[in-house]
Amino acid sequence: MSDGVLEYTRRNLVRRRRIVRLIVLGFTVAVLVSVHGTGFRIQDLYRGIPNILKFLTEDLLPPQFSVWRRFLGPTVETIAMSYAGTFLSVVFSAPLGFFAARNISPSPVVMQVARAVAVFMRTIPPLVWALLLVSIVGIGPFAGTIALGLSGAGMLIKSYADSIEDIDAGQIEAVRATGAGTFAVMMKGVVPQFSPSFVSWSLYRFDLNIRSAAVVGLVGAGGLGFTLSTSVRLFRYQEAAVAILWILGLILAIEFVTAKLRGRLI
Amino acid sequence: MSDLKIVAQDLYGRSPMRRLVPLWWALGLTALFVASILGMNLDIARIIEGGARLVVMLGQMFPPDFSIFGRIIGPAIETLYVAILGTFLGVIFSLVVGVLAAHNITPHVTLEIALKVFSAFTRAVPALIWALLFIVAVGLGPLPGILALAINSIGMLGKVFAESIEEIDRGQIEAVSATGATPLQIISKAIIPSVTPALVSWSLFRLDINIRYSAVLGVVGAGGIGLELVRSTRMLAFDETLTITILIFVMVWAVEYINNKIRAFIR
Repeated sequence: MSDGVLEYTRRNLVRRRRIVRLIVLGFTVAVLVSVHGTGFRIQDLYRGIPNILKFLTEDLLPPQFSVWRRFLGPTVETIAMSYAGTFLSVVFSAPLGFFAARNISPSPVVMQVARAVAVFMRTIPPLVWALLLVSIVGIGPFAGTIALGLSGAGMLIKSYADSIEDIDAGQIEAVRATGAGTFAVMMKGVVPQFSPSFVSWSLYRFDLNIRSAAVVGLVGAGGLGFTLSTSVRLFRYQEAAVAILWILGLILAIEFVTAKLRGRLI
Repeated sequence: MSDLKIVAQDLYGRSPMRRLVPLWWALGLTALFVASILGMNLDIARIIEGGARLVVMLGQMFPPDFSIFGRIIGPAIETLYVAILGTFLGVIFSLVVGVLAAHNITPHVTLEIALKVFSAFTRAVPALIWALLFIVAVGLGPLPGILALAINSIGMLGKVFAESIEEIDRGQIEAVSATGATPLQIISKAIIPSVTPALVSWSLFRLDINIRYSAVLGVVGAGGIGLELVRSTRMLAFDETLTITILIFVMVWAVEYINNKIRAFIR
């Protein structure tokens, strides 16, 4: 008996090691093909590093801090875009998350449709959404907001649905056994179990949106990214340096705040 | 506390005020949303006009123009190459960073802190901004994209690699070192086997992220499929835009699908 178990474990280990080796081999081939395809050479790194250092020390530094006031407006705009985008995706995803969860969904067809919509929305990168939306609603933060909302909804529908699928079915049964209707079962059996992951995922998305919001501006969708790309286009690198520091500070600040909030709410 | 109040609390588990807390949150968050939208100084007329433009644009998008496939397949492959090389360089450098920054095996605490700060910095600056900087520094072509993805990957992978190494069972290292193994042997016999699955899994995950970035690098001028996308929207050739968007979708989705399969195997 124990020999059988040992043999099974050993075979599993051997099989596992073989698969890992196969993956490493596949990756190596992919890397070699890519090196060939892009004409990348190791010398590029040697050549690149001095260039980058030169650019950093001569063009980018020192940051021209006197212009910092100019970034206040775009910073607020970036936060507003991220928040509004997150809000839209949460409102949109909360019902669809229920539809996409196997244990709650009214029908398998609805579940598949909701999941397919989610895959579509999150697989297209936020910047591509932003680019498309800029050509529809024009340059400005509205395009960015909708872009963040769309790609955020794609992620949240899946995350919400996965969290709902993980909840304890016993608790739902217990509520149902009291004779509660569908709505009461949702409110008392499902929602209390789901709300910690709901809060956690939504906050995480806000955090991600700040990062995306900072770059959707590069295609004209408002916020700090727009200011940054303007500075770079005008070759005002010392201004760009300030914009980058702002973005960095904003991302770190929001990461800190959401982590604190998550700790307090859950 | 009156009897009635106790009964009420017993029935609902919470006092009426506390039961309304979710409602206050919902109202507050909605008010914040409205304030955010109002604060953007939106050109409402332009947005309403966008509704009409959307219909026109959708009309121009369909049917997608697949005849450009021959022209865009080259940039699409370049996008894949850039993602793979960026991930590869990122993984290689992150291994070094991870080993040197892991608290349990770092040669010196100062080095550990310096590397962790470095990772935090390279992680926090978005990949596209790195690309913007590298284009200025090393010129156009695939190189700035590769370097941007590599450095952004180091930020993330350096951190998680160090954390994976920190999670290794101390007993395992001691068992190997008790046999009289050299530091190099400890690394190859105790550390590498126990972190490999996590490293492979994280690296694949990063490839997944990098392909998404790589697809949009063209937006800042770093070539690949993203550049074709920008060009098509500038030329208002929306039937081409749709084809390119579909191609990006397929590429990103395929990489994610293969990755999930491999990661399920490793686990």
